[in-house]
Amino acid sequence: MSAEFPSVSEAVSQETIDRYADISGDYNPIHVDLEAAAASEFGGTIAHGPIALQTFFRSLTESTGGGALPPGTKVKVTFRAPVRPGDTVRSELREREDGAGATELSAECVNQDGTTVIAAQASVPS
Amino acid sequence: MSNEEAPALSNVTYDELEVGATLGTVTEPVSAELAGSLVGAIGEPGEAAVAPPAVFPVLFLKALRRTLGGIPNGGVLAKYELDFGAPLKTGGEAEIKVSIADKYVRRERPYVVVQFDISDGDGVQVLSGRKIIMWPTGPGEEAPK
Repeated sequence: MSAEFPSVSEAVSQETIDRYADISGDYNPIHVDLEAAAASEFGGTIAHGPIALQTFFRSLTESTGGGALPPGTKVKVTFRAPVRPGDTVRSELREREDGAGATELSAECVNQDGTTVIAAQASVPS
Repeated sequence: MSNEEAPALSNVTYDELEVGATLGTVTEPVSAELAGSLVGAIGEPGEAAVAPPAVFPVLFLKALRRTLGGIPNGGVLAKYELDFGAPLKTGGEAEIKVSIADKYVRRERPYVVVQFDISDGDGVQVLSGRKIIMWPTGPGEEAPK
């Protein structure tokens, strides 16, 4: 596993959200219905959680050197804040410790204001 | 019922979900096109011989839509817990078993833990995942009209 953890960022637009709805089949109004979302507690559409998570996955797979994560990898993700159209999300991955037989990593995905939108931890077999 | 034929949204309430119940098992294709669109920036064409991790949340959504009768209308994604197994090759199918692992109320918010057990066409487990959703209704509440 590489000791270098590339920082990955992605700009999120309503087009990105609509594209993910088409890929996944998730047409929840909070993501794709501008009028309904505006009347919700969020005040507008928000991105599907996996859109912001993609920056973390890309950073992780680039550092493990493959398209799929190694068998035995464990990932825990907490979605902390919504991502809205116009946001840019950046993932910062760092090593916490080199445990017995596994590398322990943590990551934060932050938006352009520095707000953490996702906190993640990964345990990758050595 | 295919993913396209399944209703887009579900109004299944918190009370209607039984912990330990299996919602169903479905099969979904994992094409190279789908996997490629989830390698880099979302939706940008790419190449993938094996499924990148971002394929699994998509399989969760597709399986949930088919087994629950739609995506929970107004549900908010709270957490994932993902245990990766063998690589999932593209060009085949994934079998996805969906069940309700737990449900609870924390800080006056209702949560449902949905378990996804995914295996490849040969029956090899490729992922065990839990998706924790802040459910749109709580105990004793009816579905919105």
